[in-house]
Amino acid sequence: MMPALPFLAIAAVGLPLLWLLTLPLAGRWHRFGLPLLPVPALLLALVSTSGWQWSLPWLLMDSQWLLDDLRRTFLTLTAVLWSTAGVFALGYLDNRNLKRFLVFWCLTLTGNLGLVIAGDAASFYSFFALMTFASYGLVVHEGTDEAFRAGRVYMAMAVVGEMLLLAGLMLAAEEADSLLLTELADAVVTAPQAQLIIGLLITGFGVKAGLPLLHFWLPLAHPVAPTPASAVLSGAMIKAGLLGWVLTLPLGLATPGDWGDLMVVAGAAASLGGALAGVCQRKTKAVLAYSSISQMGLMMLLVGAALATPDRAAVIVPIIGLYALHHGLAKGALFLSTAVHPPAAGPVRWAYWLLLALPGFSLAGLPWTSGALAKLAMKEALASDHLTMVTATWLSPLMTAGAVATLLLILRFLWLHHKQAEPAANPPWRTAGWLLTVAGSGLVFWVLPWQAGELVEQPYWLPKAYQYPALLAPIGLALTAGFLAALLVRRAPAVPPGDLLALWPARRPASGTVRAQPAPAGRALQRWSDKVSALSVGADTRLRSGGLLALAILVLLVTLINQVS
Amino acid sequence: MVEDLWLNPWLPVMALATSMVAALVIFMLPEERHVLRTALNLGAAVAKLILVIVMVWGVFHGLEYQLSFTMLPGIEFELKADSLSMMFAGLSSVLWLLTTAYAVGYLENSPNRSRFFGFFSLCVASTTGIALAGNLFTFFLFYEMLTLSTYPLVVHRGTATALRAGRSYIIYTLSGGAVLLLGMAWLYAETGTLDFAPGGVVEGSPTPALTAIFVLLVAGLGVKAALFPLHGWLPQAMVAPAPVSALLHAVAVVKAGAFGIVRVISDVFGIGFASEAGLLLPLAGLAAFTIIFGSVRALFQQDLKRRLAYSTISQVSYIILGICLAGPLGMVGGLVHLLHQGIMKITLFFCAGNYAETLGVHRIDELDGAGPRMPATSVAFTIAAFGMIGTPPLAGFITKWTLGLGALEAELPWVVVVLLASSLLNAAYFLPIVYRLWFRPRSDAWPEEVRWGRLETLGWLLWPPVLTAAAVVMIGVFAAMPFSPLSWAELVVNREYRP
Repeated sequence: MMPALPFLAIAAVGLPLLWLLTLPLAGRWHRFGLPLLPVPALLLALVSTSGWQWSLPWLLMDSQWLLDDLRRTFLTLTAVLWSTAGVFALGYLDNRNLKRFLVFWCLTLTGNLGLVIAGDAASFYSFFALMTFASYGLVVHEGTDEAFRAGRVYMAMAVVGEMLLLAGLMLAAEEADSLLLTELADAVVTAPQAQLIIGLLITGFGVKAGLPLLHFWLPLAHPVAPTPASAVLSGAMIKAGLLGWVLTLPLGLATPGDWGDLMVVAGAAASLGGALAGVCQRKTKAVLAYSSISQMGLMMLLVGAALATPDRAAVIVPIIGLYALHHGLAKGALFLSTAVHPPAAGPVRWAYWLLLALPGFSLAGLPWTSGALAKLAMKEALASDHLTMVTATWLSPLMTAGAVATLLLILRFLWLHHKQAEPAANPPWRTAGWLLTVAGSGLVFWVLPWQAGELVEQPYWLPKAYQYPALLAPIGLALTAGFLAALLVRRAPAVPPGDLLALWPARRPASGTVRAQPAPAGRALQRWSDKVSALSVGADTRLRSGGLLALAILVLLVTLINQVS
Repeated sequence: MVEDLWLNPWLPVMALATSMVAALVIFMLPEERHVLRTALNLGAAVAKLILVIVMVWGVFHGLEYQLSFTMLPGIEFELKADSLSMMFAGLSSVLWLLTTAYAVGYLENSPNRSRFFGFFSLCVASTTGIALAGNLFTFFLFYEMLTLSTYPLVVHRGTATALRAGRSYIIYTLSGGAVLLLGMAWLYAETGTLDFAPGGVVEGSPTPALTAIFVLLVAGLGVKAALFPLHGWLPQAMVAPAPVSALLHAVAVVKAGAFGIVRVISDVFGIGFASEAGLLLPLAGLAAFTIIFGSVRALFQQDLKRRLAYSTISQVSYIILGICLAGPLGMVGGLVHLLHQGIMKITLFFCAGNYAETLGVHRIDELDGAGPRMPATSVAFTIAAFGMIGTPPLAGFITKWTLGLGALEAELPWVVVVLLASSLLNAAYFLPIVYRLWFRPRSDAWPEEVRWGRLETLGWLLWPPVLTAAAVVMIGVFAAMPFSPLSWAELVVNREYRP
């Protein structure tokens, strides 16, 4: 163990805070430190060895920080994306409320980096909460009514999520008589309230990870944030929920209940439902946010399979890390590209569209990209003959359907971007940040210095001949479907971002004040009846076209693919 | 440093005397001797803090500082510094220093400052006496002295509302005192002792008489602890000047009640006895109800200080709830909140005072955009508010976590539900304030803006909340360090359970 690692760990979470404290004294040069803030964390991920542990008996209630292969993968993702998004931010931010934005940026970054290296429940939950609350400032930064509505929904759901999480962690800690995450997970299985704890943990982290029915805030909040913040929200922070699941759920142990199968169902709903709601979006960033929900759905499949099949968990967990790394960087690159203007003409224009589409196609599993590796590894990990769960036979078709849906979303994104983006010059930092992220998405995956799971064969970046159909078929299917859709459908049905949230009657405008007095009972009753009628009318008009259609197509698609394979 | 010096028995008396003497001298000072009065005030506060630190060090190493003499046959006046009393004495001496500094700035150029600071010091002397009281009789003396010395502070402004609030305060607390006295007399008749001892002094099997005594004592103390339905005076009393509210809510009055209940349960009846007699569960239920009730009422307040007052009603019951869980972890949670709530709540009241004095803002809906105008104050407020909600890694989280585990250990899972519901409600009434501070633009001028040179407000007003907010972060992040509130509470409980 290297003696310098504790210093590096302190620097990783301390540097953003230190930089924050120097903000009041800052000159013009100060902001150029932004991309460098995650550098100690990246170094820590690269130079540490798996199994590194550091106990901090003076911190919180006796803390421990540690790194293993999974955490190093997440740390790499987090550090690289925050760094390149930081470069982008230099060319994106204007001076309006700049300091406020930087404060929240640093706090969120500290939380996001810290939770990856935390090995005990108290420090993990501390960093998690710091990230959750500080990112509110990123979401509402633009100050529009839309942003504040998104912020309100986000905050309400985040607070509820925190409470669920706290209850779950407390129950587990009481059972384990320890705060170490590994011991929590072990104790959960034998606890009398195991079912309750697992349910609380799944839903608590599910708010962050976009678990269906807890996802409403996500397509509202991710798009309204300033673009570099959208990128880290949808690329890195969303993964905190995923990491929370992997660290606290008793993966690899015989678990009571059908939670694994339930998560598979939830993942399927997220992956296909998210894609279908996504193609009905009118804004590029909303499409990408739904794509994140859809992709997180695939990662939920993995978690569900690992939960239901203890003896496969050791194989599946590294794949979750790989998939998170792949998706995080690709999605970050896509989000950043929404604010990069296309060049007017010439070969640069071609290069622009190529680089724009590349991370998207990578998400869909284009051979030779990170996505192909992630998809193949995932497919092998979830091969039905290894799994004993109820939903095992559905996993393969679900993945194929997910790949089709992903590319359809990407096509929708490219189409919208093509229609909406105006040719213009870009600030150099902005271009640089975007290009760095695209490069990161293409390259980081291949240079990981550690073994990322036993399924990955060497040289793994070349798929074997028999694997090409599995990769290319969904792409072909999606391209055909997209082409047909473009021919046949004049205008996609519109689904409001936040989909089912539209069932909730519109709230007071952002400029309204907090209610001063409790309404008398009569008025309250009147409001309730208003709500009920608004619910039936509003739901009908807003979701008529989008929601029902989406639901029907979802069911059809899965059944079809299941029949074919 | 910890040897048995001849001085040792006198340390508690000296700690008491610092504020008492300061009070007497200040009463005699002419109104315009501003500098001398400030120097006296701060000097006494620093002296007391040093004495308390010395005693904390000694108690940590197993010393006991004790002094007693007989007042009436069978009734002793006794001062004793044990680990529990050092908790309360430590809180009161640290916060006295900060509040004095704050009050100096707050009352700059206002009339009757000698009267104010005199009673202020007397009030702190009473809390020290309450902390160091070695038996129930001594406790009662200082408890009543506290009532009388706070009344002039509550009515300091002399307005009609202040006088009304003062009347309500004095009626509530004197009635509480009478009930306490009755309970105490009956206890003496029943057991023949008023001593405090780890593990309790009540022996034998539970009798109806003992139950009645318990109810009387808790009811008498519950008035100051603002236990439902005895809380009515507290929201009215917030008409007092900000430093008084800060002290009232953080150390003096409310905490004295809660501390008294802790003493009665742990050192008079003994947790084991009280729990076997079935006395604790009903009290836990009442505390839980008060927690939810206070939070719900806070939600509907538009006056900043009123909202904070209802929040106090809710938060102080955490302490009582913790003791009533009748287990070591629950007791740690309750005791640690004695300090945590004090530091968080005093920060919030300091900040509320700063908004009122600098911007003329009293109502929550006038706070829009106060963050950029007063960044340091608003950062302090934000930290303390998140601490109250129980967000990790701040002080409130340590409380909530320990209390929650204590509840699970005692197999009372409904307590966890109460804690979570209270956190949700705390979020519901604190987050909108934080939102207004930082995210709502300011459209019109402040009600009454005062400019204080280079800083956002007067330095005397600015530094106390900044320091206490830093403490809110520190005592959470470094909760496992020796001498942190958490470690000290664990020490108290260890000594309680293994006397």
